[in-house]
Amino acid sequence: MRQASENEKFAVVGIRPQETPQEETRQKWYKGKPLLSMVLLGIVFAGCMGSRFIMTKDPTYMDLLNYNLPPNGEFLFGTDTMGRDIFSMIWYGGKISLLIGLLSTAISTVIAVIFGAVSGTAPQWLDTLLMRLTEILLSVPNLLLVILLQAILGKPGIWSISIVIGVTSWTSIAKVVRTEVRQLRSSEYVVAARCMGGGFFHILWNHLAPNFVSSIMFMVVMNIRSAIVEESTLSFMGIGLPLEIISWGSMLSLSEKALLTGSWWIILIPGIFLVVTLLCMTEIGNYLRRQVNQKESNL
Amino acid sequence: MKKKNYFLYYGRKLLIFLVSVLVLSMTVFYISRLAPGDPLVSYYGDRVEKMSPQEREWAEEKLGLNDALHVQYVHWLNNALHGDFGISYKYKRDVMEVIGSRLGNTLILGGIGFVLVFVLALLLGILCAWYENRLADRIICKVGTVTSCIPEFWFSLMLILIFSIELKWLPSSGSYTIGKEGDVWDRVLHLILPMTIVVISHLWYYAYMIRNKILEEVRADYVLLAKSKGLGKRRIVFGHCLRNILPSYLSIMAISVPHVLGGTYIVETVFSYPGIGTLSYESARYKDYNLLMVLCILSGILVIFCNMVAQTINEQIDPRIKGEEALETSEVVKI
Repeated sequence: MRQASENEKFAVVGIRPQETPQEETRQKWYKGKPLLSMVLLGIVFAGCMGSRFIMTKDPTYMDLLNYNLPPNGEFLFGTDTMGRDIFSMIWYGGKISLLIGLLSTAISTVIAVIFGAVSGTAPQWLDTLLMRLTEILLSVPNLLLVILLQAILGKPGIWSISIVIGVTSWTSIAKVVRTEVRQLRSSEYVVAARCMGGGFFHILWNHLAPNFVSSIMFMVVMNIRSAIVEESTLSFMGIGLPLEIISWGSMLSLSEKALLTGSWWIILIPGIFLVVTLLCMTEIGNYLRRQVNQKESNL
Repeated sequence: MKKKNYFLYYGRKLLIFLVSVLVLSMTVFYISRLAPGDPLVSYYGDRVEKMSPQEREWAEEKLGLNDALHVQYVHWLNNALHGDFGISYKYKRDVMEVIGSRLGNTLILGGIGFVLVFVLALLLGILCAWYENRLADRIICKVGTVTSCIPEFWFSLMLILIFSIELKWLPSSGSYTIGKEGDVWDRVLHLILPMTIVVISHLWYYAYMIRNKILEEVRADYVLLAKSKGLGKRRIVFGHCLRNILPSYLSIMAISVPHVLGGTYIVETVFSYPGIGTLSYESARYKDYNLLMVLCILSGILVIFCNMVAQTINEQIDPRIKGEEALETSEVVKI
């Protein structure tokens, strides 16, 4: 606000007075924040974490008498082709989907920050070499890389899927980190810290990270999102989690059968939960990105 | 610039290109061999289980699978440089033939999809920027965000459920009805659903980028000048702003060629569309090594080539910055 009032003094000289929005002071704290998304995501998150209080049935129990039932009073969202209660599976499986999203993002962010920082502070030739390597890694189709890595790691489980997704999705964050670090590395405080004998990780954590954290925050949230998408896609295609490990993706892997019998609820319900979660994350991510001020249009 | 420098310039690029392809082939070779799995299964099918150890050994010998890895690689490289990429274990035909028979389908799906994405994104982006923060913009932005959130495979499933199973309007799999191979209309019908997915899943990302770039441009000082000179909104947006963002859009689209063209894996798999996507999926899953190598290298070449095209475009636009730096500043983050 101080900026604006100072500009008003210059209004006589010809600088446009910036419209000081009076209402802005009166705006509520939640104004402009993606409130609906935060609440929805909160509900999904809380429901998944406290799944044992919500579940009406055992999600892994296969009720062979009641398989492939449409939603009704007893089975709120119906049952799948193996006779499991979809309502319970949603909450139980959501926990695993979200967990994989968070785990793999944690893995990829750590790799990205370290790789980006090394590449950003390294001498020119090493930097070029590292960037070329990333480019080559990027040029292998993602899906093929995932299939091969998964095969190397063995039987798919929560950890191995997270590692595979994490290892294949760090490049875009690494590029941003590298660009930021390259701009920061010759600033006085970094040089000073280095002169005082600060180690690589000390400088990275205390001096570099606080500066680039805001620019990668948005990408980190988006990475959680794409990790969840990737897990569900892989499980759907039969190369991710097996049917016994319930997640939204592995629930959808039954959809080929469901298409044949026309059981729409098996496809629709997990999908809606998936899409709503992803949508909320996108909204929050976009909000983080919008934090950078928008200037007045000249048109 | 002198002529000699041009030679050096392109020579250097070519060298980087070749080295990259070589490293790529090596990486794929080692990763694929490290992955457990029996390539014999894809060659002999279920008969492998009944084979005696001697027969297995003989078969592996025949396919050259029991040499040391680096020997295998040098052998492969030598053959590849002579134009012989080996045979596909599964199809028992020359790899190039197998790919050739599928390539057309993917090019149609990805190529037309790419052009559609390119044009529609531009139009949609301009439309949104024109009506910034008005109702139309808000609605399009919301719908766009929602579509960009829907996982491709689930979207495909929903379309199949609605249009193929409930309404019975469109076929749900393949690229033509058996027995009607030459029927163009039949092929078009089979293309509609996969094409919709390809276009919708990419469209909003680029449209939103265009929208934001125009909005950024509109806030520049020259727009104020143009306006004070009395130019209309249309002249400013189309004559000045668009001209400024088009080159960078072109370079971004060049980078995304492999993205759109190669991003048809999931769509092809869901719709059992006989293209490169399903082929690579099969080859990676069933360890069809020779096929996998060629597919990876092809897509690698495409990616590296497109990156170089984008770099060149960027260098042409603004010779002050080196192309490599321009690539980083242009937002090519997949969301």
